[in-house]
Amino acid sequence: MDAPLYLRPRVEPPLAGLLTDRHFLHSLVDALGSPLNVLLPEAVAENAARFRTVYDRHHLTGRVYFAHKANRSSALLRRLAAEDPAAVGVDVASVAELRHALGCGFTGDRIMATGPKDAAFLWLAARVGATVNLDSPGELERLSGLVRAHGFGRVAVLVRLSGFEHASGREGAGTRLLSRRSRFGTPVQGAEALLSALERNAETVEFVGAAYHLDTTGLEEKARALEQCVLFMDECRARGLSPRALDIGGGFGVGYVAEAEEWERWTTALTEAVLGVRPPLTWRGHGYGLRNEGGTVRGAAALYPAHRPTAGPGYLDELLSLPAPVLGRHTATLLLEHLHDLHIEPGRSLVDQCGLSLARVLDVRPADPDSGQYLVHLAMNAGDMSLEEHGVLVDPVLLPRGGTTAAVDGEAVGVYLTGNLCLEGDLLTRRLVHLPRLPVAGDLLAFVNTAGYAMDFHAHRAQRQPVARTVAVERRGESWNWCPDEDYWPITPVGEQPDEV
Amino acid sequence: MRYDSITEAIGNTPLVRIDPAVHGLRNIDLYAKLEMLNPFGSVKDRPAWHMARPHLEAATDAEGTVVELSSGNTAKALALLAGMHGVRFKSVTNRMRVPEIKELLLLIGAEIEELPGRSECLDPTDTDDPLTHFHRALSDPGSTYLHTDQYFNPRNVEAHAEGTGPEIVKDLDGRAPDWFIACVGTAGSSTGVARVLREHDPRVRVLGLVAHKSDFIPGIRTIDEVHQVGLFDPATYDTIESVTSDEAIDGMITLIRRCGLLSGPTGGAAYQGAVRQLRYADEELDGTGQRRTAVFIVCDRAESYLSYVRQRRPELLGRTGRGRSAVAVTGAEARAEARVIGVDDARRWSAEGDPRPLVVDLRSPHAYAALHIEGSVNIVDEVFEDLLRGGLPFSKRTPVLLACPVGEKSLRYAAALSRMGHPDVRSLAGGIVAWRDAGAPLVRE
Ligand SMILES: Cc1ncc(COP(=O)(O)O)c(C=O)c1O
Repeated sequence: MDAPLYLRPRVEPPLAGLLTDRHFLHSLVDALGSPLNVLLPEAVAENAARFRTVYDRHHLTGRVYFAHKANRSSALLRRLAAEDPAAVGVDVASVAELRHALGCGFTGDRIMATGPKDAAFLWLAARVGATVNLDSPGELERLSGLVRAHGFGRVAVLVRLSGFEHASGREGAGTRLLSRRSRFGTPVQGAEALLSALERNAETVEFVGAAYHLDTTGLEEKARALEQCVLFMDECRARGLSPRALDIGGGFGVGYVAEAEEWERWTTALTEAVLGVRPPLTWRGHGYGLRNEGGTVRGAAALYPAHRPTAGPGYLDELLSLPAPVLGRHTATLLLEHLHDLHIEPGRSLVDQCGLSLARVLDVRPADPDSGQYLVHLAMNAGDMSLEEHGVLVDPVLLPRGGTTAAVDGEAVGVYLTGNLCLEGDLLTRRLVHLPRLPVAGDLLAFVNTAGYAMDFHAHRAQRQPVARTVAVERRGESWNWCPDEDYWPITPVGEQPDEV
Repeated sequence: MRYDSITEAIGNTPLVRIDPAVHGLRNIDLYAKLEMLNPFGSVKDRPAWHMARPHLEAATDAEGTVVELSSGNTAKALALLAGMHGVRFKSVTNRMRVPEIKELLLLIGAEIEELPGRSECLDPTDTDDPLTHFHRALSDPGSTYLHTDQYFNPRNVEAHAEGTGPEIVKDLDGRAPDWFIACVGTAGSSTGVARVLREHDPRVRVLGLVAHKSDFIPGIRTIDEVHQVGLFDPATYDTIESVTSDEAIDGMITLIRRCGLLSGPTGGAAYQGAVRQLRYADEELDGTGQRRTAVFIVCDRAESYLSYVRQRRPELLGRTGRGRSAVAVTGAEARAEARVIGVDDARRWSAEGDPRPLVVDLRSPHAYAALHIEGSVNIVDEVFEDLLRGGLPFSKRTPVLLACPVGEKSLRYAAALSRMGHPDVRSLAGGIVAWRDAGAPLVRE
């Protein structure tokens, strides 16, 4: 057999410490069943602090808004609500998320309402004084109507812009930076209608700034969008409006795989497998979007760049240090000199290292004779843990049930991880996963770093399989304590009743 | 040498021997094929002309646009050729990472379309791949695009099989070299030259060089990316090796500083990769009395890669300090030596002072135009820094109030001015931000 192709996860404290406490994790699954999601609320606060450090370095003010869509947990939200109100807020994309944020202790002025909004969402946002991130002039008119009809006070609004590649040619003729098309936001070119609507409705809405969210890993595109927004806000000032905040959305990324070499080796091997010069490393030769056309690889690999030299706060720092394409100053300097607050909406990156998903091994059998590969059947399905569905490839960590002395086959082994649904397609990975040894029934597999979009983005009850429960854990002295996610409050040690305060 | 058109100057480039004292090989003569001396500056002049010529010479009505997926030399050559024939040129690329090349292309009159980055919220079922869009646009009926398609077009290889390869053989007095070394971008030059050399002598060994996977060397592909190249056939190469950007720059520096060859990074990579590989062969030849020959290609010139070098090896562009600099004032020195003034006092001073202070706003003109303290003058920090090198820019009788966004830069400049003997210069504490937060007026013009 070839050398095992690992994609071992990046694990940092305190998650790393939790993973070494096998007995605790096994006892959790014994009590609460498989699958099980485990969250570390303390880690989300640390991440927020890291983002704040980048702000401080660039002398910037403004808020870090957690993009709630990344995880529906109460513990994470409550922990963030306990942070400095001026520094941390929450970005909600539905009326349910808005209600949840309010219930977790966020006051309206710390909430940013984004995404498509129905009347109930707009009404509640206006009622509680949330900032509404407007998607279109139509939404502005509907919001205005509600404010008038119900006699609310002025609502703070940001305008979400898009279509920066078509923006007027100040950047000089000849270059067009294409962007991924987005369903959201108002094209900068069409912003004139938006501005006059803002002026017309000045008694109902208070225009506080511009926003964008670009679904791209490309720093240059984001720097360009940032600068276009600064220029746009200038035009607004020239018309007598006084915007002062720029919300640059999320998408700062997470590094899932620890070692660059493992990631490089695996992706090279995928290309070779698609070309047929090495055996497949995926279920039925799946190519993740790559295909072989007469010996040439075509298509684009639908893979999340799982190893990253910089992600999260580091990525923000890079973006803020990039020269703006037209004005030349660093983007941070641009914001600072124009006296703008910077808002960000990290989702995935704010919950980096904040959680893991546990699954019990039900059964292990050879995949087919002689291959040396196995099928490992888990008490979990692809809907419970959707890393792979988002193109994120990373190995689970094996947590044997027995003590370290238990007899286990000490050889690395290639396995396919299958789920608990009666569907041929219910694979947790379409990739051959290498584990340091063959698991046995009763062992646990821990999928690390699933708090961002993976652990509950697609959970469903289709086949009456148990839906994963979620617990919050905290280190206390020598041991870990836990409580159900819904019972977590940042004021009492985990696992104890809230005292009278 | 008299030509009717610059295109006649394409090809017939020199083959120059590298001094053995530089490469240290005792039994192998190493030659550089100087493709950088083509008229548009690179090895791509040949395929660009060979691919585009039939269409351009037929294009009488100056209709249509030549398009290519290129970030550099092919685009440069095609843009010039298109311009000569009154046709437009558009480069589509996601690898436009070297600013000089981009600006040069704009100067030539090219249009550039940069493809977006990868999706962060990845949806593996998404088929919205920008390259697919590109190809769809090209195949639209009624499209007036001419896609030269350098990664798949056999005329790319042909240009080298008819030109570069035979020229090498001719300059080696009818023999093929024992080794041929080339970087792999479109695989056109390596494939075309290798074909011709092998026809002369099947024993020729061909070394293909690619970039190290996590690295970036402009113009060549990584070991994975070559598999996306239609002209790439692994059988062309006896060996494929990867080089790092560091090695490429090392090689480039050797060629420039010791051989007088103003090579770019891929020429450097080819040289460095060649010497690395040939060293073993050279040792085996020791004492056999045999001599061998090797040829590598210098694809293009150094000038376009200064910012690439600056980013990776700034010390090579040795930026030494030019005289007095406010940056030389440390933070602690600035805090100790500069005078600061709070917003309220500053407002009073600028309104009632006798004489009134000159208020200097150190932000960019654009930010200044948007909002500033009434009556202030704008001297952007970079310019101010330069002014200070020349001496004190204000009369000592004019008091000065320096303002920047948060009062950090202005503190350093205030300290620097004090050191230069200005008796009354103060830095606005907390900067324009504090001024605004205190509700003090800001105006725009
Ligand atoms: C408006 C908005 N903000 C923030 C985010 C979060 O992005 P990420 O989780 O990549 O940081 C998203 C993601 O879809 C979004 O649409």
